[in-house]
Amino acid sequence: MTVLILTSEEDVTADLVVARLHGTGTPVLRLDPADLPGKAVLSADYAHGDFDGHLSVNGHVLSMGGLRSIWVRRPGEPAAHAADPSPWLTAETRQALYGMLHSAAARWMNHPRNADQARLKPWQLRVAHLSGFAVPPTVFTTAPRLAREFVEEYRDVVVKSASGPPPGDPALTLPTTLIGPDTDFSAVAAGPALLQKYVPKRADIRLTCVGSRLFAARKTAGPDQVDGRFGETGHAWEPVPVPERIGKAVHEYVTLAGLAYAAFDFAEDWDGIWWFLECNQGGQFGFVELETGQPIAAEVALWLAQHRADRRASDRRG
Amino acid sequence: MRPFTLNYAFPRGLSNAVTPYHFDPARQLNVLPDGRPAVSDPDLLLAVGTTTSTAGSATHFDD
Repeated sequence: MTVLILTSEEDVTADLVVARLHGTGTPVLRLDPADLPGKAVLSADYAHGDFDGHLSVNGHVLSMGGLRSIWVRRPGEPAAHAADPSPWLTAETRQALYGMLHSAAARWMNHPRNADQARLKPWQLRVAHLSGFAVPPTVFTTAPRLAREFVEEYRDVVVKSASGPPPGDPALTLPTTLIGPDTDFSAVAAGPALLQKYVPKRADIRLTCVGSRLFAARKTAGPDQVDGRFGETGHAWEPVPVPERIGKAVHEYVTLAGLAYAAFDFAEDWDGIWWFLECNQGGQFGFVELETGQPIAAEVALWLAQHRADRRASDRRG
Repeated sequence: MRPFTLNYAFPRGLSNAVTPYHFDPARQLNVLPDGRPAVSDPDLLLAVGTTTSTAGSATHFDD
C-alpha cells in the first residue's frame, strides 16, 4: 500500500518524511499537481459500476486500489507547469486529479474540505473558543469607526493579515504589526481589517499535532518582538511539555475541525498563559524538528503508513 | 484606496541563496552533490532557511 505525497519538488520538509518512509520500506509516490498534465500522467476509469485509477510520475506508478493515504503538503496549482497553462486547464486538471483521489478509499492528512475550512481565521477563533483556549479579543471589520473604537478599548492592538501577504511581484511580506490609537483607520473601508488585542509575551509557542501526538516547542521572545517569525532574538526553539489543559483543548480543536495535522501558534504571556493566535492546518514543522530534535516527521510517516482507520474521534489523548 | 492592512506590508527582498541540493526523481527527495539526502545535513537546512515558517511557496499561506 502506497503513500501519496502532494507537494513541490523543492519541499525539503517533505523529504524528512519521504526518508522515513523509505527507511521503513513503505512505498511512496511524490507528485506535484503542477506537473499534471505533462511530467505526470493520470487515468481514472468509471465503468461497469466500478472505479480504478492510476497516477504516474518519474517512473513511479500508483494504483488507486493500492493507495493507503494522501498527505497534502505543499501542492502546486494543477497544470501550473503545463506547456499552455490557463485557469480552465487548472480547473479541468483539478477535477480529474482530486475527483479521482476523493473516489479512492484513503486517509487524508488533511482532507481538502476540512483544510479549506480550517484556513479561515475567523472560524479558527470560534473553534478555539469552543475548545477552551484563551483567545485575545479580535475584530474583523470594514467599518473605520468600529476599528477605532476597538483600538480605543484595548489600546495595544496588532493588525495582521488573515490570508497572508498578497501574491505578486515584487514579493511582499506582512508581519503582525503593533498599532496605536493615533492610527488613521479610514482605509479600513477598503478591505477587511483583522485587529487583535496585543498579548505582551515572553515566548512564542509552536505546538504541532500529528494524529493524537503533540509536540510543543518554545522560543523566548526578544524585547518588544511582536511577530515571532521576524527578527533575530538569539534564542532557539526548545521542546517543552504540553500543559494538560492545552492538550485537552488541542484535541478538542482538531476533532471539531477534522484535522489529522495542525500547527498551533500561541503567545506565552508573563503569567505563563498560552494565548491562541492561530492554527495552521498545513504549517511548517521542519524548522522545529531541526532545532529541537522532536520526531515530528517520523510521526507523520507513521500516521501515513498506518493501516488502521483514523482514531482521532475515539482516541482523545496521544 | 489601499486596504488598511496593506499599509503594513513591505517588500520581502530578493533572496540570493542558492539551495545546494537538487531533486532526485528516482529517490523522490532532494540530494546533495555527493548523493546524500539533503535531510542528512540538518545544519545546512537550517542555514538555507527552506524549512522555516515563512518558507511557504507562493501558492500557500500555511506558515
